[in-house]
Amino acid sequence: MTGGSSPASTLSPGSPEVRRRDWKTRLRGGAKKVFVWKIWSHVVYGGAAVVGGILFLLELGYLGVYHLSFALGALHSFLAIHPLQGFLLSLEVVGVILPVGFGLGFLVGWARTTRFVILRGLGSVFVDFFRSMPPIALIFFFALITGLELRGSGIDPYTAQTLIMWMGVVALALHTAAYQAEIMRAGILSVPAGQTDAADALGISRMRAMFVVVLPQAFRLSLPALGNEFSSSIKDTSLLNVIGWMELGGVSLALAANSIEYSHYLAGSLVVWIEAAFLYFVVTYIATRTVRGVEDLFKVPGLEVAKS
Amino acid sequence: MSSIRVKGVRKSFGELEVLRGVDLEVNSGEVLCIVGPSGSGKSTLLRCMNLLVIPDEGQIFLDDVALTDPRIRPEWVRQNIGMVFQSFNLFTHLTVKRNVMLALRHVKRMNRAKAEKVAVSQLTRVGLADKLNAYPAQLSGGQQQRVAIARALAMDPKAILFDEPTSALDPESIHEVLAVMSRIGQEGMTMAVVTHEMGFAKEVADRVVFFDAGRVVEEGTPDEIFERAGHERTQAFMKKILR
Repeated sequence: MTGGSSPASTLSPGSPEVRRRDWKTRLRGGAKKVFVWKIWSHVVYGGAAVVGGILFLLELGYLGVYHLSFALGALHSFLAIHPLQGFLLSLEVVGVILPVGFGLGFLVGWARTTRFVILRGLGSVFVDFFRSMPPIALIFFFALITGLELRGSGIDPYTAQTLIMWMGVVALALHTAAYQAEIMRAGILSVPAGQTDAADALGISRMRAMFVVVLPQAFRLSLPALGNEFSSSIKDTSLLNVIGWMELGGVSLALAANSIEYSHYLAGSLVVWIEAAFLYFVVTYIATRTVRGVEDLFKVPGLEVAKS
Repeated sequence: MSSIRVKGVRKSFGELEVLRGVDLEVNSGEVLCIVGPSGSGKSTLLRCMNLLVIPDEGQIFLDDVALTDPRIRPEWVRQNIGMVFQSFNLFTHLTVKRNVMLALRHVKRMNRAKAEKVAVSQLTRVGLADKLNAYPAQLSGGQQQRVAIARALAMDPKAILFDEPTSALDPESIHEVLAVMSRIGQEGMTMAVVTHEMGFAKEVADRVVFFDAGRVVEEGTPDEIFERAGHERTQAFMKKILR
């Protein structure tokens, strides 16, 4: 018999009793898990990234281009843009894409598992459409159609420009929603039929069973794949500069292009993109770590080890 | 307690006719064992009784309420007829206590304190008072099945259906589950049990039904079915099973 929860252990933080007492405790316990318990791994990964970055710059210095960092400083002020500005804009875009993509993906994924043919059909069309197009084509598609629609409408150019650019963000949100819909669908379908049988046999209605029996389990099963999709959609935002966004990718492109003013064009570009890569790494790292924390939060004792 | 009556029930899945006109009665307070070869439709019959499977033809009564009447809500039927599955089907993401509480909270609309009280008392009844906060995956098969029984009992059903409750268990666990079941039977619960446990059928059942190819072949007291079966199909089956 595997170990049950003995009364003595119920008061330690993270024990089933404390963790599941109510959702507030759960959230608090979860935040603790993500940001405190995992400190060691932040230190290890972050430390490795910093050391790696320093070594790389030293390598460049050895090549005789160490002065590039000073040059970059001058470049940043010359262009009045800085990667960190682009970084903040990227964060803003990610802050829109992830919640919208997750919410919509969840709904579409659910729609595809219902017995209502119309809902299933609409869901399939949505997924097939947004999943089969490269994100860059979707961005152009949305932005250009918006542009054409707005032409001659008398709307002021600034508003029109803003609208067009945000339609590109919408395109990315729909793209990731399609992927997340499939992840949710897989999660829902992988909850064994016996679970809904049991809920049925107890007189729990289908809708309620969905919320209290199926979705909690489907969500837990979907988390690893969701983390994967989050990290991928964060990096897709680097495509948005094709319609004028000066997010991290756009800023980096501009800086790299302008480093031709200086003597070491290739090395200059390289440093710019190392900066960009590092900043993307930071966002992606925080996002995937958070998902891992949520995974821990939803871990079910006795189920974490695959049974033979 | 209540009785369940099955009258002329037929059910086909596509081309395959699984139930070919079944008449059966589970009297109030009676333990009825349904035995027969696998694939004979026993489980489907059981699942018809709480409308997990809707019969194509025929009627099913709980006391004098026709469950097959389209106006009857399936949820109402299932609230009143409990079911225990072969593979336990405990909710894996909930603790033992919450497994029992779930339907009390969401179907019977009990408040948390009351549901918890009922859950604890039912789990104590099946001998699992020390496992309240364990998760199903931390329990043995026998313990999981006892939780499933407690979960059914907690709804205070008029009858309980058992669908091969011990088929997925090791011999030791079989014993502990059957012990709980006989105690519930002796306490007067109406029970329909699909089982391959002939020992249990002999000792606990009030009546035994031999079921084959979608029909009731023979029914009677355990003694009549096991020792003096009249039908040659029953005799052949018993000969293979009892040795």
